[in-house]
Amino acid sequence: MLSKFNYVKPKLLTDAMIYLEQNDGTKILAGGTDLMIILRHNIVKLEHILDIKGIPETNKLEYKEKVGLYIGACITVNQIAESKLIIDKYPALVEAANSLASYQLRNRATLVGNICNASPGADLAGPLMVYDAMVHIESTQGSRIVNINSFFTGVKKTVLKGNEIVMGISLPDVEQGDNSIFLKQARVKGHDLATVGVTARITANKKIRLALTAVAATPISIVSLEERLSLQPLTEDLAAMAGNEVRNIIKPISDVRSSAEYRLHVSGVLVERALLHLLAMGGN
Amino acid sequence: MCEKHNNQGNCFTHVDSGLKTVQIKCRVNEEIVCAYIDPTMTLLNFLRNELKLFGSKEGCGEGECGACTIIMNGVSVNSCIVLALEAMDANIITVEGLNKNGKLSILQHEFISHDALQCGFCTPGMLMSARALLDRNPDPDESEIKEAIAGNFCRCTGYFPIIKAITSAAKLEREEMKNE
Repeated sequence: MLSKFNYVKPKLLTDAMIYLEQNDGTKILAGGTDLMIILRHNIVKLEHILDIKGIPETNKLEYKEKVGLYIGACITVNQIAESKLIIDKYPALVEAANSLASYQLRNRATLVGNICNASPGADLAGPLMVYDAMVHIESTQGSRIVNINSFFTGVKKTVLKGNEIVMGISLPDVEQGDNSIFLKQARVKGHDLATVGVTARITANKKIRLALTAVAATPISIVSLEERLSLQPLTEDLAAMAGNEVRNIIKPISDVRSSAEYRLHVSGVLVERALLHLLAMGGN
Repeated sequence: MCEKHNNQGNCFTHVDSGLKTVQIKCRVNEEIVCAYIDPTMTLLNFLRNELKLFGSKEGCGEGECGACTIIMNGVSVNSCIVLALEAMDANIITVEGLNKNGKLSILQHEFISHDALQCGFCTPGMLMSARALLDRNPDPDESEIKEAIAGNFCRCTGYFPIIKAITSAAKLEREEMKNE
């Protein structure tokens, strides 16, 4: 590693925020599954690493009825994947968690890290978007809450400023009849970044939500299609229409994982398949 | 890690950063360990270079191949992408800690009797992933075994003997539990 960094692990949030404020070029470490790799490849040079695992608030995973789910910054992807409660309430979130990398990597990787790394193909971003998750951000200047749908600003870029820490993510409570699904196409089963990721949700009052990953510079919600789909009851024809229509809306690029043409094709297939699943599960 | 990471193969040895050493204390294979180390050292380099536990291997160095898998605080992790300092006060088990009173464990025996290894490079990581699986699920089915070792690459066996070995070890361990 070329970086020569100080490693600090504060026990108090205020200490962490002050350290971040006073030391430029500090990177926050939670799971480290992205950070350690860019350090190894010498893509970044760091002087400070701030380990936030010692801050008690970051280890909170809590569900309250009528309030919803709160996931702290250091909750690992496996903690989410193995939560019975989350699979009942937010199935797409668990499906996305299970699709991420390998088992031992998921024991370190965190949901908040997945979001803050802001990869266009971030698996967990789609489910958070369809549930309108809120990102809780802290800094010495105070706290703010940002909707996940306006959190990403570009490839590996977010609204976060250098002195800010994401403390956790909250998802609103869901009502009976709410359902969701996450589908992912990758080159090999498991262990690969998504070629396309599709998340679909049907709310208790039959509104459809759709989010796609790896088809744009950031994970995206397909708002115009969501509105059209929510005007009428979900049917097989409507699912087929959505599959065709989504190809006119997204503008994916070609890269090492896939050509743009293939991404367009698979997006349509997965959107239709996801909606048909919701229909089969009683979402008409 | 060396400065020429991208054009020379010799990247995996730890290069001292020259920074002031920091104290680390943890439990490795039931022994309390205390040392002063370079803060940029990975947990894998700490185990291999400082503690001379050469069982855990470095394959890819990026958490893809699983050769460095160890059990840390009860869960399997890739030690090549964990900083040694993150293991402060942790309870660590490496492949060297699998034996029972100096004798090979059931799991290790089953790997041998099912020919679940050839070159052996992936084996320590494979054993630790399997151990972590059997600790959380004493009766895994084939798909659960496949999922548990999906992060461990083996280029020799074609995986089938490994899956059979783990299935067999699970059965024998359950029988042993009953008899105890």
